[in-house]
Parts: sequence; structure tokens; C-alpha cells
Amino acid sequence: MRVVIAEDQVLLREGLARLFEDGGHEVVASLADAEHLLPTVAGHRPDLVVLDVRMPPSFTDEGARAAKQIKEQHPELGVLVLSQHIETAHAVELVTQGGFGYLLKNRVLDVGAFLAAAERVATGGSALDPQVVASLVSPGRAKEDPLAALSAREREVLELMAEGLTNAGIAKRLVLSERTVEAHVRSVLMKLSIPESGDAHRRVLAVLAHLTAAQIQY
Amino acid sequence: MGKSSLGRWVVAAAAVTFGALAVVLNALAGSHGEPAWQWVLAGAAVLASSGVGLLVAIRRPGHPIGWLLLANAFLLTTIGFAQAYAAYALQEQPGALPGPEWAVLWDQSAWPLLFAVLIAIAFVFPDGRLPSPRWRRVAFGAAASFAAFLVLSFFDPEPFEAPYERVDRPLPGLPEMLGVLWPLALLGMVASLFAGAQAVRVRFRRARGIERLQLRWLAYTAVLVPATLIVCLAGTLAADGVEQKDVFNALFFFMLGAIPTSVGVAVLRYRLYAIDRVINRTLVYGVLTLLLAGAYAATTLVLGTALGSGSAWPTAAATLLVSVAFRPLRVRVQDAVDRRFNRARYEARRQIVRFLDDLRAGRAAPEAVEPLLREVLSDPRLELRFFLPESELYVDGHGYPAGHQPDDGRVRTPVTRAGLPLGMVLHSPIDENRPGLLDEVVEGAGLAIEIARLRVELRRQLDEVDASRARIVSAGYQERRRLERDLHDGAQQRLISIGLALRHAQHELAVSPEEASDSIDGAVTEIDVAIEELQELARGVRPAQLDAGLTPALRELAARAPLPVQVKANEERFPQEIEAAAYFIASEGLTNAVKHSEARQVTLSAERLNGKLTVSISDDGIGGASATRGSGLRGLADRAAAHGGKLAIESNPDCGTVLTAELPCV
Repeated sequence: MRVVIAEDQVLLREGLARLFEDGGHEVVASLADAEHLLPTVAGHRPDLVVLDVRMPPSFTDEGARAAKQIKEQHPELGVLVLSQHIETAHAVELVTQGGFGYLLKNRVLDVGAFLAAAERVATGGSALDPQVVASLVSPGRAKEDPLAALSAREREVLELMAEGLTNAGIAKRLVLSERTVEAHVRSVLMKLSIPESGDAHRRVLAVLAHLTAAQIQY
Repeated sequence: MGKSSLGRWVVAAAAVTFGALAVVLNALAGSHGEPAWQWVLAGAAVLASSGVGLLVAIRRPGHPIGWLLLANAFLLTTIGFAQAYAAYALQEQPGALPGPEWAVLWDQSAWPLLFAVLIAIAFVFPDGRLPSPRWRRVAFGAAASFAAFLVLSFFDPEPFEAPYERVDRPLPGLPEMLGVLWPLALLGMVASLFAGAQAVRVRFRRARGIERLQLRWLAYTAVLVPATLIVCLAGTLAADGVEQKDVFNALFFFMLGAIPTSVGVAVLRYRLYAIDRVINRTLVYGVLTLLLAGAYAATTLVLGTALGSGSAWPTAAATLLVSVAFRPLRVRVQDAVDRRFNRARYEARRQIVRFLDDLRAGRAAPEAVEPLLREVLSDPRLELRFFLPESELYVDGHGYPAGHQPDDGRVRTPVTRAGLPLGMVLHSPIDENRPGLLDEVVEGAGLAIEIARLRVELRRQLDEVDASRARIVSAGYQERRRLERDLHDGAQQRLISIGLALRHAQHELAVSPEEASDSIDGAVTEIDVAIEELQELARGVRPAQLDAGLTPALRELAARAPLPVQVKANEERFPQEIEAAAYFIASEGLTNAVKHSEARQVTLSAERLNGKLTVSISDDGIGGASATRGSGLRGLADRAAAHGGKLAIESNPDCGTVLTAELPCV
């Protein structure tokens, strides 16, 4: 996997580069701001761009805007946005496009999960931070909340689905057999009236669309 | 001093000298002289006439009115002098002085000249020219009548009047047959008198503005001429004969003093505009006096008849009635006079009284005084400006600073109350036919204007409080945002990169333990830096040194500054929040001094003065600091204001900048 990194903090940038290299990937470029990111991406044609949401000069949403531009110009490219804190609006808007990931920065310390998520995004999958998902499926939103019908286990499965994990990934994370996970997934999709689909990515989209619609509605 | 200016002084001096001599001679004449009160009146008339005449002659050289007034004074005193001379030289000490017959002649024959002067004034007032060229003939006729009359009386074959019937005339008598000219000359003189009145009327009808006012002044006192004549006539008809000459003389001299005075006022345009008020007051108090006197007399008469004379009750009752009736009657009479003679003022006053009633009853807002003034004065361009003494600013009704020096042809009239400036009325130039109305209206609406001003001031202060509160909230938000960013971008990132370094070390452990050890060393160094960053951050939130007191915190602040900072403070402790505010003001002030002032030395001081913690930051830099420039100093002012204190800035190139914050602490 060929990676471009855009991160203004030099230590973190180097740390990230080492992390990817230690994992056997190639860091083709690392930048300190979003300004030259587009030409660099166009030049290197990497599999994945990892970038910080807040970068110079204004430290507001340069990274998010750059991520959007990259996705517009290179829809096939995986873009993984790292953030210091949760910003649901940005995250959900971008993640529904696929080939997109949105993670909190501290997730990088769980090297295995982080690299797995990065690889998933690079191959067109999604990676939504568990905290974002948690905020979407947080209970007590409304009386007729369809999520209330889910069992605890089904809710865990739903959250992992929303994070972008495949059935196999969910099974591994929950230490269950894939068949059990498949049953839970079917049950969840049925309870939420989401049409079933073999494609993990489309399933994420459907789940997210359902969740965000619910959140807007209530 | 030119020839003519010398002339007027000579005439004035001669008039006064003759007057003085007349007084002396009259005193010498003893019982044969005139009573003293008459001389006082005559003296006043002479002084008024000569003084005003002189003043007009000096201020308006070449203006005939000045000369006419001087002539009036001169005639008055020479006649008075001749009268006293004759009385002394013929009655008190016969033969003591030469030529008394000439004095009698002047005394008995020159008086028409006094009227001639008054008529001349009426002809040429106020511009010094006749009303129109056609009037030249009238003037000529008048002059001819008076000349004929003078000649006839100087050369009269008849003996002098009493008491000098036995004194020989010094001039030869004219033939008897010329006596037929007497009635003609007399008629001509009376006609001239009417012509004089007509001249004033003609002028008044076509006059505008200032000239109209001038004529009003003349008319005001010229009323005394017919009044004097009527009284005189009435006296003659009453045929009492004892005091009528005294009454006539009193009125005559009063007239001779009053007319020159009002003529002088009119020509010199001194207090020209007060005429309406003067006429108004005269009318009101004249009518009032008549009514009250009538009421008093009637009451006394009726009750006196009923109760019999000698009872004290009628007088007491009449006095009570008059004193009770005075106030309401005055208001009524004033109203009636206003309604009849000054409609605009009457309407204006009514509207203002109604407005003030509405104001008291809460039906009108004081701010409505501006449209009210516009309406009352029919001036749509009129605007009010309120003066705010604290900021020395003029603001409009909304509290926004506004110009008070219009350049669009409007005029400003200051509004004061109890000697303090309230504001300014900007209005179109005053209609000269309605002078004094503005002053009166503004005076009447003074209370409303003052209330409106106070409200504007209050609103401005509240706005300022709101703005300051908003700035404090915003500053607080900015501060939290800065903290959040410092935490996220600083400490958190550093911790993550340490984590990454440790993960890397973990990875290396399998490959080369030495490199892993280096990585861990690096991570530990990072931890040290992170700790320092957190300490710095915490100091920004609230310096730990403040626990030990303001002074140690200030010393710490001084020690970390990049230039010499002297701290003057004792160990006194203050409430925590006051110490924190003082510390931040000192810290921010010091930062400003370091950044902007180019100072070589800064002094921080904190001490208790008059129940307030007074913090000052003074530098020896280039000055130029102000609260309006840059938000930093305003932020400090807000911080001080939040604790009920205030911040003063004194900044100039000579002695640097001194920031002084006073924070109340009980």
C-alpha cells in the first residue's frame, strides 16, 4: 500500500510514517499542510491519503475540505481523516461516499486495528470511529426509536457494521462464529427494515443513512 | 476724532451742562422753582435722550436719529435752564442776572420744537430716510408749520404768560393782522403729528423682520404721545385744575425719556427681539392692574356701604379677594393677551403644556419632544442634540454621536438648564417675524429635553454594559477555544506521538534492542516536554503562584519577562478573584509593554489605595496606547469593569505608558 501523509505536527507525522513502514507499507510523501496535497496526490497516485482535520493556516477544517476535494477528483482513492475530536457532521457526510475513513487520532496506538481500517479504506471500504458510531446509536433518542427493539448483542453488531467492519471482522472482534454474526446482521437489518446486501460497504451506507436519518428526524 | 464726532460730544456736553445749571438755578429760585420730582423726571429724560443720542451718533455716525435725540436733549435742558433762569432772575433775586426776558421768551416759545423733534424721528425712523420721496412734501409742510408757529410766538405782540405778564418782550411784535396765521400754523402742527403717526403705520405695514421689530419698539413708547394728550384733555375737561399740570408734566417727561430709549434700542438693535415680550408683559400687567384695582375698589365700596364706614372688614375682604384672584387672573389675562396678539406663542404654549401633562401621565415618551418642537416651530429640519458630560459628546435621540455644527444653513441654539448644557437645537434660521418663540418653546420643553437627555445617557451606558458583557463572554469563549486547541494540538498530539514512538520501539525490540532503547529515550524526553507544556498551559488558566499571593505571582511574572521589571508590592492579601484579575491585568499589560512599547524598563505595582487594589504597569517606552485601538486594552478594561473597577490609560511619547486599574475590595 502506497501512502501519502499530511500532518502539521512533525513528531506525529514521523510517527505515522514509521507506523506504516513498520507495517510493511510505503510512505511516498509526507506533508506539513493541505496546500500542496492535491498536486502531490495527483503526482504520486497513492492508494491511501492519511490527513489531519486541522492544519495550517487557520486550524479549522482545512483537512476536511482537502479530503472532500481529493474524493471529488480521485473517487477511487482511499482517504483517511484523523481528528483530535469528534465532529459527526463531517464524518458522516464523507463516510457515506465509501473509500473513506474517519478516526480519532488516538486510534493509531492500536496499531493492528488502525492498519486494518487503513487497508479497508484503501480498498474502497469504510472506517467510522466507534465514538462517532456511539453518538449515532446512543439510546434515549425517541420513544419510537427502532434501535430500542435491538438486543444488546445486535446493537454491538450494528455498531461494528457502522464502523465499516465485514462479517468476518465483526466475528473476530466479538469472538463469535461468522454464522452467528450473519444471523445477528440479518435480524438487525430486518428490525430496521434495511434491505439485505452482500456488499459490506453498501451495508454500511444503508446503516448510516438509517441512523443519521433517524437522528435528524428525532 | 472727526469734526462731526466732536460736534456730537459738544452738543451732549452742552445739554448736560445746561441741565446742571438749570438744576442749580432752580434750587436757587427756591419756592419759585418747579418741584424737585419734576426735575428728577426731566433729568432722567435728558440723560436718556442725550446718552442714547450720543450712543447712536457714535455707533451709527451719519444717522440722523442720533442728532435728533441730541437735539431733543439740548432743547429740553435749554428750556429747563431758561425756566429756572427766569424764575431766579425775575422772581427770587430780581435784577441779579442779565437778560431774563430772553429766558422767558425761550421758555414760553421754544416748546413746539420738542414735538418737532419727535415728529422728525417718526418721519425718518428707523433707517434715517423718509418713507418715500413723496413724503418730502409732507416733511416740508411740517417744517413750515413749525417755523411759522415759532416765528409767530417769538414775535408775538401779546404779553408773556403768567407769571411774567409784566416783563417786556425783547423782540418787536408782528402786525396784528398776521394773527390770522395762528390757527393755520397750529393746524399744520397737529396735522404733522398725525403725519408722523401715519409715517410709522406706512412703514410698519411694509416692514419685514428686523425693521418691523424696530417699529414695534417705537410704537410701544409712541403710544405715550396720544396717552399724554388724552390725559391732558381729560384733566382740562375735569376742570379740577389743581394737579392737572403736574400730571401732564410727569407724563410728558416720562414720554420724553421713554421714546428716546426705545428709539435707541431699536436703532442699536440691542435686545431688539425682546419687544414682543415687553409689550406682552406691559399689556398683561396693565390689564391685570386695572382689573385688580377695579375689583378692590368695587369690593371696598360695596362692603363699605353695607357695613358702614370705619369697619376694617371691607379692606381686609378686598385685599383677600385681590390676593386670591391674582394668580388665576394672571393666567387668564396672559392667555387672552397671547390669544389676541401672539397666536403662534399661544398655540405653542398650549401644545407644550399638553405634552408635559401627557409626559407626567405616562402617555408620551420624553423622546417625543423632538417631533413636538418640529411641529410647534413648523421646522421639519429641526433636530435635537443631547450633550453627554461624561464623554463630552453630542448625540442624537438614539444615542449615536452626531454632528452639532451643521453646514446646511441650519442654526444652533444651545439648551441649558440651571446653567448646565443640556444640548443643542439645530434649526432653520428663525423667522424674523416670530422672534423669541424658539427660546420660549425650548425653555418650556426644558424638562422633557432633560429627561430625554438622561434617558439617552442611560441607554448609552446600558449599551456599553451590554457590549462589555458580550466582550467578556466572547473573550471567555476565545480563551476556552485557545485552551482546547492547546490541549488538542499540543499535549494530546504529543502524547499520541509518544505512543507511536513506543509502538515503534516495540516493533524494533524484535529486530534491534539498542535502537528500541533509543526510541524509548526519545519518548521519555517527549514526556518531559509534554509535562512542561501542560505546566505552561495551567499557568495560563490560573498561575499556581497566586496561591501564595499576588506579590509572589507578580515576582514570578517579572522574572520570566525578557526585560528588567521592577515589582512594587507588599505582602497584603486580597480576595482570590480580585488577585486573579489584578494578576491578569498586570500580565497582559506587561505583555503589551514588551510587545509594543519598546520600553527598557517596566514597573509593576500593586497596593491598596482608598479601599481599592490599585495595579499599575508603567513603562518608559514610546507611548501611543489607547483603549480604542486594539482589543487587548479594552479586554483589560472589561475585566476591570467586571469587578466594578476601572482602567485608566495614560500614554504619550514623553513618559511612556501607564496603565492603572482600580479594583474595589472591601
